[in-house]
Amino acid sequence: MEALSIYVPKLVTPKEYIASGHRACSGCGEVLAVRYVCKALSRNTIISNATGCMEIISSQLPQTAWEVPWIHTLFENAAAVASGIESGLKARKRKYGYDKEIKVVAMGGDGGTADIGLQALSGAMERGHDFIYVCYDNEAYMNTGIQRSSETPFGASTTTAPSGKVSIGQHTWKKNMAAIAAAHDIPYVATSCSSYPFDIMYKIEKAMKIKGPSYIHILAVCPTGWRCPSNATIRVGRLAVESGVFPIYEIENGKYTLNLDYPKLRPVADYLKSQGRFRHLTEENVAVIQEKVLEEYNRIKTLSHMRKKSK
Amino acid sequence: MKNEIIEIRWHGRGGQGAVTSAELTAMAAIHEGKFAQAFPSFGPERRGAPVLAFNRIRYDRPVRERSGITLPDVVVVLDPGLVTLIDVTEGLKPGGTLIVNSTRSVEDLQQNFDGDWKLAVVDAGSIARKLLGVNIVNTTMLGALIKATGLIKFESLHEPLEERFGARAKSNFEACKLAAENTVLSQITTGGLKTRRSFAVEKLAKWQELPIGCVVKEAGNTRSFCTGDWKSQHPEWDDKKCIKCGICYIYCPEGCIKQQKDGFFRADMFFCKGCGICAQECWTQAISMVEEA
Repeated sequence: MEALSIYVPKLVTPKEYIASGHRACSGCGEVLAVRYVCKALSRNTIISNATGCMEIISSQLPQTAWEVPWIHTLFENAAAVASGIESGLKARKRKYGYDKEIKVVAMGGDGGTADIGLQALSGAMERGHDFIYVCYDNEAYMNTGIQRSSETPFGASTTTAPSGKVSIGQHTWKKNMAAIAAAHDIPYVATSCSSYPFDIMYKIEKAMKIKGPSYIHILAVCPTGWRCPSNATIRVGRLAVESGVFPIYEIENGKYTLNLDYPKLRPVADYLKSQGRFRHLTEENVAVIQEKVLEEYNRIKTLSHMRKKSK
Repeated sequence: MKNEIIEIRWHGRGGQGAVTSAELTAMAAIHEGKFAQAFPSFGPERRGAPVLAFNRIRYDRPVRERSGITLPDVVVVLDPGLVTLIDVTEGLKPGGTLIVNSTRSVEDLQQNFDGDWKLAVVDAGSIARKLLGVNIVNTTMLGALIKATGLIKFESLHEPLEERFGARAKSNFEACKLAAENTVLSQITTGGLKTRRSFAVEKLAKWQELPIGCVVKEAGNTRSFCTGDWKSQHPEWDDKKCIKCGICYIYCPEGCIKQQKDGFFRADMFFCKGCGICAQECWTQAISMVEEA
């Protein structure tokens, strides 16, 4: 994947579907991920965007950064609105012979996906609408000032789960949204990270070809909330993947593939040390996280190897 | 004079601590038995965007006013880049005080302003880097404020700093003291180079001419919005080292780096927010980040 990224201009479209001049923080990993997703989606899409960073930084009246059809929805109903659009398009095809292929995409942050919008998302996936759900996971409610969400990892300090003498910050583990989506038996589930542009584009292109719901979970580095320098966005994202904290894999009809497999993972301490939100962790805490990370990574690895053996 | 409300406006960037400065000033004034307010003003813009913070201080009676401040007595500029970017003296009363953090000399800075003001200049950036290890000048500039106006006393800053910074209060206090010692005061008079912006009321449009509300007519029209003034450093390319791989292009969150006709890459400074990702990720280290003047 890394070798591919040399001589980039020949490999990607120069067209930008999210315009410059958006109000994201400098070094934002989330808007970077949106940029890749939109490049892969291209023009024939309708995006339904849940409230969150991406919505407020891109659409300040009287301006918009979007150059694709885009609907602002509330936190909880991005997937419901996407289902409606998809059904509407289907009805137009049936009644009026409308024949254009349009992909419906719902987007949300981790709060809009894993906390508030989970019910609507679950419903849409269960009904089998032909749409893509993209979750930009920056591991807290960054838009309103770094409040914890269910995607916040163990040990991270946030404004509503602060670290101190009594608490180490967030004391629950990150909710595994990809596994929840996979449990709906949908055709395509994938995870990716904002530091891997070609991986994101490859997965979006794959999801576009699939009939039925697909779910893509993208880890988006947030320098403001993760308390790292703005130029470290790409490096921190890479560390998350290389240390196994956030494995990049895809599940096609229940079959696991680990896209980036490392025979020897980096210690999670490298990843944790790169960010201020984990600054307070002791060596024992890090050892606990290391154990959990290896367990989860090996689970996915075993699942993806089992598939190879059975073939 | 003692009965009057003294109004302060702080100019900074998101993340630089202008809001903290205003809060600390108000807390120190209250500690001395004065009456004070502190409040910020910013849009939904993010880290790096210009922000404003305000103070009202009164000696003997509570401040009942709750409106925004348009005609301040004191203006404090935390970011050196803002002086040339926006009119920081907008509405500053004649005889008021302008306090600027800059590496430039007083004589040089005087060229930028035109009005009857007191000008105080301090290189707070290097003091903060030396004593605090970071380029965050909010507490350092408090020293310059004390030197230039005498509104609050050093001693009354102890408690607010302690409350706000805990163990780091001591170094912040030292930075504050050192800044006061290094502040250079001077007087500006009218008749400088720049003409002042006029505040004439715009001619109002007729109702037929008003645009339809709540409708965005053009896709991607944020392109007319300048985010380039958020940056404190900008990338510069060394074409000798460049292999035209385009890694800077793909990793730019603004999407403002474009390939030119000769194959080399350049960023559009109108949008560049100076995050430094391109310089960090460049394989051949052809990009270096240069501090804004």
